[in-house]
Formats: sequence, C-alpha cells, structure tokens
Amino acid sequence: MMLAELSQPVGKRLLALIPVLFGISLLVFILNAVALGDPARAMLGQRGDPELIAQIREEYALDRPLWVQYWTWMARLLQGNLGRSYHQQRPVSQVVAERFPATFKLAIAATLIAVGAGLTMGIAAAIRPASVLDHLLMGAAVIGISTPVFWLGLMLSLLFAVWLGWFPVSGYGDGALTHLVLPALTLGALHTGTIARMARSSLVEVIRQDYIQAARAKGLAELAVIGKHALKNALIPVVTVIGIGLADLLVGAPLTETVFAWPGLGRMLVAAVGQRDLPVVMGAVLVFAVIYVLGNLLVDLAYLLIDPRIRRE
Amino acid sequence: MLALALLLAAPTGAIGQKKGGVLRGAFNSDPPTLDPAQATDTTSSAVIRQIFDTLVELDETLKPAPALAERWTVSKDQKVYTFVLRGGVRFQHGRELRAADVKFSFERAARGKRPWVFEKIAGAREFLRGQAGEIRGVRVPEDLIVEITLDRPFAPFLFLMAYDAAAIVPREEATRRGAEFASHPVGTGAFRFGSWRRDDQVVLEAFRGHFRGAPYLDRIVFRIIPAEITRFNEYKTGNLDYTDIPTGHCRAVQRDATLKQEVAIWPILGTHAVRFNVERPPFTDRRLRQAVGHAIDPQAIVAGLLEGCVVAGKGILPPAMPGFNPGVVGLPFDRDAARRLLAEAGFPVGKGLGPISFHYNTGDLNQRIAELLQAQLKAIGITLELRRLDWAAHIKLVDGGGAGFFRQGWIADYPDPENFLTVLFHSRNIGAAGNTSRYRNPALDRLLDEADLMATGPDRFRRYAEAEQMILNDAVWVSLYHYTSRALIKPYVRGLERSPLSSAPEFLAPLRKVWLER
Repeated sequence: MMLAELSQPVGKRLLALIPVLFGISLLVFILNAVALGDPARAMLGQRGDPELIAQIREEYALDRPLWVQYWTWMARLLQGNLGRSYHQQRPVSQVVAERFPATFKLAIAATLIAVGAGLTMGIAAAIRPASVLDHLLMGAAVIGISTPVFWLGLMLSLLFAVWLGWFPVSGYGDGALTHLVLPALTLGALHTGTIARMARSSLVEVIRQDYIQAARAKGLAELAVIGKHALKNALIPVVTVIGIGLADLLVGAPLTETVFAWPGLGRMLVAAVGQRDLPVVMGAVLVFAVIYVLGNLLVDLAYLLIDPRIRRE
Repeated sequence: MLALALLLAAPTGAIGQKKGGVLRGAFNSDPPTLDPAQATDTTSSAVIRQIFDTLVELDETLKPAPALAERWTVSKDQKVYTFVLRGGVRFQHGRELRAADVKFSFERAARGKRPWVFEKIAGAREFLRGQAGEIRGVRVPEDLIVEITLDRPFAPFLFLMAYDAAAIVPREEATRRGAEFASHPVGTGAFRFGSWRRDDQVVLEAFRGHFRGAPYLDRIVFRIIPAEITRFNEYKTGNLDYTDIPTGHCRAVQRDATLKQEVAIWPILGTHAVRFNVERPPFTDRRLRQAVGHAIDPQAIVAGLLEGCVVAGKGILPPAMPGFNPGVVGLPFDRDAARRLLAEAGFPVGKGLGPISFHYNTGDLNQRIAELLQAQLKAIGITLELRRLDWAAHIKLVDGGGAGFFRQGWIADYPDPENFLTVLFHSRNIGAAGNTSRYRNPALDRLLDEADLMATGPDRFRRYAEAEQMILNDAVWVSLYHYTSRALIKPYVRGLERSPLSSAPEFLAPLRKVWLER
C-alpha cells in the first residue's frame, strides 16, 4: 500500500532530475567557458611551450567551438561516460568514485550529528521557553550558525587533536571512526544550529495548541506529551530545514575536507576548478546535484511518512 | 659510564646509519601523475625521484654525480656526450637496464609535458613535429652505452640529464600499461611504488634490489595535507617527520623552545618579482618602469610580510645560483629618483597617468604584497588597482600579453643562469615560454646566445652577469625577494639533503640517503 502510494511522487521526482541535471551541466559548462584560463596551459606548470599547448588543445578538442565541446561531452554522458580528466589523464568516473565514499561518509555523519544534536537542543529549549537553558542553547545555536567552518575546524583540531590528543589531527586513516569525528562535528555544527532553532520555534508553536493542553490536563507525563503528541507535528518544518541544509553541507565540505585533509569530492572539485579540469568539474558537480536532489527527495518522502494529509493530497 | 654517554652523544655519522623505519612526510596536493613524462609539478617530481633514477644526479652542492651512468665523456666540441651505464642495474620488476631503455625513455618523455628538456638533442625538434620516427641524436652503439649528440654545445646539459623528466622507464612496462603507468610506475629507484589513495597518501616501499643496495628506510609515507596549518599540527603531534613552516610562523617557531632546534632555512633557486609588459603602454616607456622600480622597497616586504625569513631581491638570479654575482644590482629604493623619473616620463606626481592595474594570482601572501606595493607606489603618486585572479586565469592573461604590470615567481628547473635569463628574457621565448615581459633586445639576445654556447666557467658567468645588469637597467623585472625553503625537521631524521633545488614540503632530495636515528 505504502509502496504504491510512494511510487508516483518518487517517479516524478526522478524524472524531474533529468532537466535539473541538464540545466546544471549547461550552466557549469558556460561558467567554465567564460572564466579565464586554459586547461592546456594550466597543465604545464610554470613553463609553457606554445607548440605543446596547441597540441594539447587539439588532443582534448579544446580548439573546437564551445557547442561542439558541450555536445561531445553530453553524447558521452548519455553513454555513461563522464570523460577523462585533463590533469590526471584518467576516467572521471574513476576519479569521482575514489572520493565518493569519503564524501558520503562525511555527509551522513555530519547530518546525523546535526539532526541528533539539533533536535535535542531544540526540544530542550522548547520545553522551558525563555529559561536560562533556552537562552544558552539558542545562543550556542547562533554561534554554531555564524562560526566559519574553516575556523571551527582549526579550533576543534587544536583542542581535541593537538592538545588533548583524543582524535587524529587529519586524514582518512583506514576508514577508522576516530578520523571521522572532528570533520563530521565541524561540518555538522552549522546545520545543528539551524535545526535547533527551527525545532524550538516549531515546537513552541505546537505546544501552545489546545490539544497539547488537553493532553497535559489528562495528566500525561511531559515527556510523553512532547514525544507522542507535539514532536510529530513540529517535525515538518524541521525536515524542510534538513533538506535545505544539504546545500550547506555541500558548500562546507571543501573547507572541512581541506582542514582535515579528508579525501572527499569537495576538495577535489576545488582543485579541479583551479586546474580548469572541466571533465572533473562537470562530473563532481553532477554528483553533488544528484546528492542534493536525492536528499530532498528523501525529505519529501519523510513528509509523506510524517503527515498523512500530504499522502492524501 | 662517561664513555657510554659520549658514545651516545657522538655525531650519528660516526656511529653509522640505522636501517629500518618509516619516514612520514606530507605534500600540499595530490600528485597529478607519477609518470616522469607527464609530470610538471614538484609534488609529482618528489615521488618520481624516489621511484626512478636518471643517468646522472646532482649532489647537495649541485655537482653532477654518477647515477645510472657510472661515467661519461664529453667531446672536445662539447656536443657529444657518451654515457657508460652501470652493469647489473635492475628495474623493480626484475629486468636488467639496457641502453635501449634510455633511448625509449627520452623519446617517450620528449612527447610528454616537458619537451624542452630534450630539445637541445640533435633531431629532437623534427621528432617532436612528427617529421622523424626517432631522435637521431640519441644513439645506442652498445648494450650499455648511450651517445647523445646535441645540435650545439649547451653547458647545462648534464643538469637536464639529472632532471626527473629524463628518468629511465622500462619499455615493456610503460608500453603495456599506457596511461595507467602514471598510477603504477616502475623504475630502477631506491623505492618502489607501494600504494596510492588519492588525496590521502602515497606509500613507497624500499627496493631491496637497488643498484646501490637497499635504502635505509623500509617505507616512505607521503600524506596529502592541503592546509599548511594542519601539516604543522601533524608535525607538532609527532605524526610527520618533516614539514614546511606555515606562513606567518617563521619567527614564532624560531622562538619556540622545542621547535627552534628543528628549524631549517636554506636558500633555493627562486625569485619572486614583478614584471612589466614592455609592449603595453604606459610601460613602453623605460623611465616609467624605472620610476616604479625605484619606488618599490623589497626590504619592507621581507621584514614586514616575510618575517625576515627570505632574502631581499637585488638582482634577478637568486644568491644560491651558480654564477650569482653580488655586483649585479637592480634599481635601489629611492623615492626622489622615482618622482624625478615619473616627471620625466610626462607624469609629474602621477598626473595624467591614471590608475594602473597590477595583476597577481590568489594567495594570502600575494594579496598582502600587492597591498604593500599599492601603498609604496601611492607615495610617488601612482594609483594601483589590484586585479586578483586564480593561477590558471592569471597565467593565461600574462602569457597572452594582457597584463601590463604583474607578479611572477620563477623557480629554476636546474642550477644554471640560462634557466633564468635566457628562458625569461630572450626574445625567442616571448609569451608562455617564459618571456612574459615581451622584451626584445637584440644586444641581450646576442649576449645570451653566446653565453649559452660556452663551456661553464667564469667567462660564461661574466656574460650572464652583463646580461642580467642590462635587463635590470631596462627595468623589465623588479625582484622583490629570493625564495628560501623553510622547514621543520625532527632531530632523528638524518641525511635529508638541503639542496637549493629542494624545497619544503616536497623535498626533492634523494630519500635513499635518509635514515632515522631513533
């Protein structure tokens, strides 16, 4: 029953992904084309050789008209081929696939931290609005939102890795969880604040409703009132914020990955932009776009689960 | 008891080098390739130099020393180099090295990203243009003899043979793997390729069959750590054995009770400068260029922004360059002279000149230098507009002649004045090849051509000094400072060469000479 109900909206969303990805690829391609810089020259370091530059441009079809270049890329993409990296001379699919697990792991961990901590903070603050605890938690949330990711990463690294020695300073290790903690905390911090604030305001709103007063009047324990009656209704806007926050995670990823030497897609994308390695840029942006769209699809599905009215609509 | 204490305190060389252990270094970016033919960056070179060998190598004093070639002779006309290879050298996959591998490697690399390394060899240009099937100047008369003929004498040729682009690769492995050779390199070097997790780490293992015997170290781990402050933290927590000193920490580490024992600063072959495009008004006027040159105070940059950890620029060649002549000097900081020349150029106190664009590539230090230059030029009435681009865009603009006044750094590929002066100022190299000033001076070209052909020695260096002074007098280039390598090295790391060609964090030094005293 549930699956049948979900298949239509999911299918619609997946179909909508196609024009979104097409639009993004075109936009990135145009942005790259109008940006100064020549991939062939960037490949050669400090000493360029005009003949070699011309030869590389020919080899990579960089001397062809832009629309031809785009069409070639798109035709390859339709056959499942993301092309070859100019800089690394390897298939882009390989370059992206190597970094994807690290990015995925970091994004999931950061989201879990943000949702867990954000909801806890929001609920704790909403139970006693205007209390000291509320002010403290919401103050912390604002600090979390407004702290630059790079700076926060450095401070966490200094405190927990250099001074206390609890976690490694940087690196992926062999995938050990200890390596993930500080990058995930850093990346999750920004999002934690947003979720906490939204959860608090939404919950405070719901708690004022008559049915909550009625539940309390029945003598239900406060925890049961919040957990059973208030939270579910308060969650809808929070889930929206989680979806929007995916973009923050993607934006914050390159900085977090740089501070913690985390071998993810964000760092790779920034390096590829600097090298004008267009195939890698396009490949990474497409992956980011897919993550974003699929993440928001999950959020939409969560609406359906939380609120039966949406399902009926 | 005392004897034991003295023994422990004795210099390590007296006790002998220790075998075993893992050396842990870090790079700021992932090497794009481990194929000597494709590399153009120092990160790739730092790994390539451990996996591969060249015919000759440069020692710490920059003198060519035997490597795969046990000896060589040079013909009287300085055009024919005959290298005799060592017998019994094995590649890491087991096969013995042959002279044919040298020919294959050179022809393969000539078609790679650094063709200029081979362009002096007779027939190289025809080969590169597809007019010949081989480089006729590379001959293999015997199984272990390689004879290389140059078009004309070129004194730094042995330096080119020590360059990592000229590393020797096994034909069958390079052919079999094709582009994959860049990820699975095989050479004759003291370390063989172990593993590579992109953007995370490259691991090299000792090659026990190296022709010089197994290296001291068992393994080298190069971590990829982009943020210099993170590398510094990893070093402080004992996870790296050497690293670079982060920008702005040079004095602090020298004051730190522990770290000051581990600081190593040495000059390298690089210069940070500002250049003019002499074809682009208003810099076609030499007096205006000279006015700008006189208005710049390199000392303020060195003391104010670089904590005195580099050497203020005077000439073009860095002090560590063979042939460096302290008598060659650029325009001294002199605001009165600057104002006078500005007026003579028709712009008294900068009137009528309009704002001038200064182009530089992104980076904290470059930004701060640009701001300082802006203030220094304001003092004589020149308004500087700062134009910042990322490196790819900056180099494209500069190569194409689109920038009139711009930043440029240069680090020598090999220790010879030709690699600075001819590459950067000869009229045949206008544009991407190096002469981004688009400077054409027939007298300078003649002098450089003459010096390039001469055997190395005082006469040759005198000509370069004359050429350098000519360029400085014409105010085509204003040196700001000469680079140094600023490193932290743990006291137990021994044998890590501090050559002027080796700069932290990459360290292009041969790590087979390194051992760990702990």
